[in-house]
Amino acid sequence: MALLRPSSRSRRRGPDATGTRMWTWFMLPGTLWMTGFLIASLVLVAVLAVGTTDDLGNPRFGFDLAGVRALADPAYTEVLARSLGYALLTCAVCLLIAYPVAYTIALHGGRYKHALIAAIVVPFFANYLVRMYGWSVVLSDDGPLLRALRAVGLADGDTKILNTGVGVVAGLVYGFVVFMIIPLYAALERLDVSLIEAGRDLYGGPVRTFFFVTLPATRQGAAAGLVLVFLPAMGDFVSAQLMGGPDQIMIGNLIQDKFFQGQNWPLGSALTMLLMLVLLIGMLGYLRRTRKDEAEARR
Amino acid sequence: MTLLKLPSAKAPTRPAARTRARRGRADRRPRVLIAVTALFFLLLYLPIAVVALFSFNSKKSLTVFGGFSLRWYRTFAHDDVLIASLGTSLRISLVAMAGSVLLGVALALGLVRCRTRLGSLAGLIMLVPLITPEIVTGVASMLLFKGLGVALSTGTVMLAEITFSISYVTVILRSRVAALNPEVEEAAMDLGATRWQAVRLVTLPALLPAVLASAVLIFALVFDDFVLAYFTTGVDPQPLSVRIYSAIRFGVQPTINAVGTLMLAGSICLIALALFIPRLFGRRGGLDILSGE
Repeated sequence: MALLRPSSRSRRRGPDATGTRMWTWFMLPGTLWMTGFLIASLVLVAVLAVGTTDDLGNPRFGFDLAGVRALADPAYTEVLARSLGYALLTCAVCLLIAYPVAYTIALHGGRYKHALIAAIVVPFFANYLVRMYGWSVVLSDDGPLLRALRAVGLADGDTKILNTGVGVVAGLVYGFVVFMIIPLYAALERLDVSLIEAGRDLYGGPVRTFFFVTLPATRQGAAAGLVLVFLPAMGDFVSAQLMGGPDQIMIGNLIQDKFFQGQNWPLGSALTMLLMLVLLIGMLGYLRRTRKDEAEARR
Repeated sequence: MTLLKLPSAKAPTRPAARTRARRGRADRRPRVLIAVTALFFLLLYLPIAVVALFSFNSKKSLTVFGGFSLRWYRTFAHDDVLIASLGTSLRISLVAMAGSVLLGVALALGLVRCRTRLGSLAGLIMLVPLITPEIVTGVASMLLFKGLGVALSTGTVMLAEITFSISYVTVILRSRVAALNPEVEEAAMDLGATRWQAVRLVTLPALLPAVLASAVLIFALVFDDFVLAYFTTGVDPQPLSVRIYSAIRFGVQPTINAVGTLMLAGSICLIALALFIPRLFGRRGGLDILSGE
């Protein structure tokens, strides 16, 4: 064996160079495709954000800051602030809902664990639009949820969910809560149960053990879930359209409007870039956090 | 108290003892947690159940159930526009599936095996669609096609869907490729296979379950996708999800419940299938050697 090794390695040196060349060829079509269709198109959005339109409304390249300047309009900053608020609230609600669910399945699911997680994941990846439409029927004024709440006295005849901010956030939560459950479940699954028992052995009550042992151990899962929910929630326009009224529109609705009804493409592009900027800041914050966590873990 | 627990303190080293410790915890069933989880499942399935139930409604109402009937399914079957849309959606999904699996599998193989600077750049580019919200990618694709002077059509939807499905295929496949032991490929080459033969005869068969799973998943995701299709579709015939969107926005037609139910049922089956495919292969002998475990 030891005798064979040098010879086989020297024989491999030749093929290794051709190997790298072959793997590069494997990589090239997909990478070129994505550069051509994706990176180029994102650059185009950035360029058009400072472009203009001709008399027919067709986009023209140029340098005009009208679109970017229009973003300072209070009407738009208000929508941006509202979108941020809804997205952050959605993140918080998702965390509050997903944690107990993921915890119950991971620690008490027993042999049904995988089936239960599959039962959550599978419908979530089915048609988003149809699910949201069904959810809007459930939340409607004489839908099953409000009828049930009225029956137990938690709501009166005037309580509405649709066409309010609560409705929009409920839609976003329903749409994306699975992105919180998956990373949390993965983190809780990995959690060593003996850690919790150690907490109990050291006379920590269930609450204290949870806050000082379980929660810190699954912090990374929660952080990943927050990002995964924040990204799509911030860019969503279906929830605000189906569950909200004209006073609940989000930045996604504005973008859609500028490209389809308003035909103001430079402004639409500027709004799109603004959305990307907010998400980029969120992503960078997350990356800094995880890097700090990793550095601490290494120490 | 602590003395009594000493035996189980040693437990973590032995798996059997550990499951016993776990079961011991499960015996104290946390009623509140289970109630919350049950409520979550109820609310998760309620909208789906409502759509399915009212698709069988004999009345036009969306709140009162009149009785069982297949009326709306019949209406759908006789609606030429919706049937044409169904055909468009199926065509788009098939083309996007084929294109993105081909490009994505090759990209995953290259990314794992190629440790050059180009490789890490390709890895970064691959991540972009995953961190970009769909509306941004939709707007960007639309602008690109308009900028190139390409009229929006079923073809442009296909191109856009391929672009954003490549990343999913690559993400699914990449961990599988990384788990493969490259020495098996080298063994094949020591036995006289060329590099390409080693990939074709050794690596690709080992990846087959993951490739099939990702193909089924992409088919379902593209068929269901709405945002990207909405921004890149032409006028006629539009994909089914875009039709559903306009139907939901402009007045409620019970036919949409029937279409929606069929779509939900179809994609739930496909996604469940995608999750199940690796298991069909997973426990079967020989291939396990390849998974570097």
